[in-house]
Amino acid sequence: MTGKRLRIIAVMAVSLIFLLAWAFPILWSVLNSLKTDQDVLAYPPKLLFAPTLDAYRDVLFGSSSILPNLVSSMIISVGTTIITMVMAVPAAYALARLRFRGKKAAGFYVLVTQMLPPVGIIIPYFMILRNIGWIDTYQGIILIYLSFSLPFAIWLLVSYFEDIPFEMEEAAYLDGASRMKTLWRIIIPQVRGGIAVTVVFVFLNAWNEFLFAVVLSGNTVRPVTVAMFNFVSVEQTLWTKLAAVSVLAMLPVIILGVVAQKHIVKGLTVGAVKGGGRR
Amino acid sequence: MSGRGQVSFRNIARTYGNFAALKGVDFDIREGEFFALLGPSGSGKSTTLRILAGLDAPTAGQVLIDGQDVTAVDARDRDIAMVFQSYALYPHMTVAQNIAFPLEMSGHSKAEIGPAVHDAARKVKIEHLLDRKPGQLSGGQQQRVALARAIVRKAKLFLLDEPLSNLDAKLRLETRAELKKLQRALGVTAVYVTHDQEEAMTLADRMAVFMGGEIQQIGTPAEVFAKPNSIDIAGFIGNPPMNLIPARYVDGDVTIGGHRLKTDSTLTGERDVVVGLRPGALRAASDGVPARVDLIEDLGDTAILDLDCAGTLLRMRVSDIEIPNEGDTIKVTARPQDVHLFDPATKARL
Ligand SMILES: Nc1ncnc2c1ncn2[C@@H]1O[C@H](COP(=O)(O)OP(=O)(O)O)[C@@H](O)[C@H]1O
Ligand SMILES: [Mg+2]
Repeated sequence: MTGKRLRIIAVMAVSLIFLLAWAFPILWSVLNSLKTDQDVLAYPPKLLFAPTLDAYRDVLFGSSSILPNLVSSMIISVGTTIITMVMAVPAAYALARLRFRGKKAAGFYVLVTQMLPPVGIIIPYFMILRNIGWIDTYQGIILIYLSFSLPFAIWLLVSYFEDIPFEMEEAAYLDGASRMKTLWRIIIPQVRGGIAVTVVFVFLNAWNEFLFAVVLSGNTVRPVTVAMFNFVSVEQTLWTKLAAVSVLAMLPVIILGVVAQKHIVKGLTVGAVKGGGRR
Repeated sequence: MSGRGQVSFRNIARTYGNFAALKGVDFDIREGEFFALLGPSGSGKSTTLRILAGLDAPTAGQVLIDGQDVTAVDARDRDIAMVFQSYALYPHMTVAQNIAFPLEMSGHSKAEIGPAVHDAARKVKIEHLLDRKPGQLSGGQQQRVALARAIVRKAKLFLLDEPLSNLDAKLRLETRAELKKLQRALGVTAVYVTHDQEEAMTLADRMAVFMGGEIQQIGTPAEVFAKPNSIDIAGFIGNPPMNLIPARYVDGDVTIGGHRLKTDSTLTGERDVVVGLRPGALRAASDGVPARVDLIEDLGDTAILDLDCAGTLLRMRVSDIEIPNEGDTIKVTARPQDVHLFDPATKARL
């Protein structure tokens, strides 16, 4: 009885430490974004202060507004996500149903491409885009993002499609459903969870991406991850504004996480449980 | 246009790579018949059924439905309903939506679909489950949903691939009887795949016995039971199956364990044979072959005796009033018309 209680306390304590370590940067950003420029530099840091939304007003509506950058990030992320899903869903379905030699190896190589250090390929990408005049354009950045998100999304989705027995498709076929109807009415509804998880991951990857964005963007198309550094200069760092932009940039991520929480947890655990036993 | 649901297989062959799964299958299924494809696992029954459904294509030969060659016709256009062994229910739809799906696909209106779904559900006694999802049903209930989905469309052919094999024994017996009544009531042609000879015997009007990708015998269950065409069929049909004993045949008599047994064969001369004796055809007789009772399996109203007859195992079915004791020696014989003879070389019936 006491042993059990002790164990629970120990687990809670460890969890709390991890939670604090994880939450600290977020709390730091939120707190600093609500401070004045004087409060933020106070030492020791003030935990009690009069909160103000000045920093938010400045970064959103001030002279160097990051609103256009938030819009850019949104266009890039949504565009990448839509194009990825439109192409990845049919591709994953086909891949799940096809039998060809080296299927397993192909899946492995897809994973390997995800492990390449990005700095290794960023220069060629830059030169290619420059040659076709796509630097600092939406199509340029989205194209490069697709080269990562598409293999990743297909790889993630295939396992969900593979879980649907082929007999179910044959049943639908005998019931008079065409291939398209079978896909829409029978297959897709059963992989909704997988699609939700994939959408979240692809969107977040695009939204959070920094390294490629900083090289391939310019003054016209500048996502918020890059624009954030306007507030860091040689002379000074505008801490409150930087914090406010950080919070704004995290907002879609947090909203998406909350909205899709059920699907993500289920999708991840299903993938984990089934992944072990997959051929 | 001939009847509804008449099927002809014309020399159907199917090879997968170098492996011949079907080696020229040729038979007819009559309109309104309950036809069983019976055979051990891997003998080509499912392949035959899938070729009929259009889910698989034959390497050679034709399939005719109601006199029309449908070999090249798409599965969707063959007007065939099928119950799969796994049931293949759509897990994201309710029972009602599952049953409605084939009607929806063939463009029926909502006003027609509602009553048809209820009607089909009532026929298989699942009206109270219409709002559930398949995952919330027991195996037996899922099986009924699959049946309802198959009968709702009133297709001209009704195919079932081992539909009862995932049910427990008691439910299997109940459903078996209901299945037969349902098929009678609907008057539809049913083609039924099973490896369970008892299922085929009780359900089928006629059956085809598959062995190694070929049909070895076609007939009513009674015909196949009474006159199995080959040693393989003799050893497959009946529970327990026929005793098969190598013996010497001389002018109408066979010698087993040094004992003569009369047959009704008119073959003359002397040769090696395999004698087939149904466990139920063996009877005690004072002038019979002596045999020691090694084991008694009591089934309640009958019992199966394992007999040691000069080193050969013989199984005998007896009624509960004549059960001997283990270790007893009894004398058994069989009537001449109950003695089946097979050629040990060709395995064919003599
Ligand atoms: N798609 C396939 N590829 C290769 N071999 C197959 C395929 N389908 C069936 N077979 C083989 O054909 C034989 C007959 O199979 P099947 O018709 O399913 O037998 P059953 O009588 O048990 O239903 C089996 O040996 C099986 O392994
Ligand atoms: Mg089979």
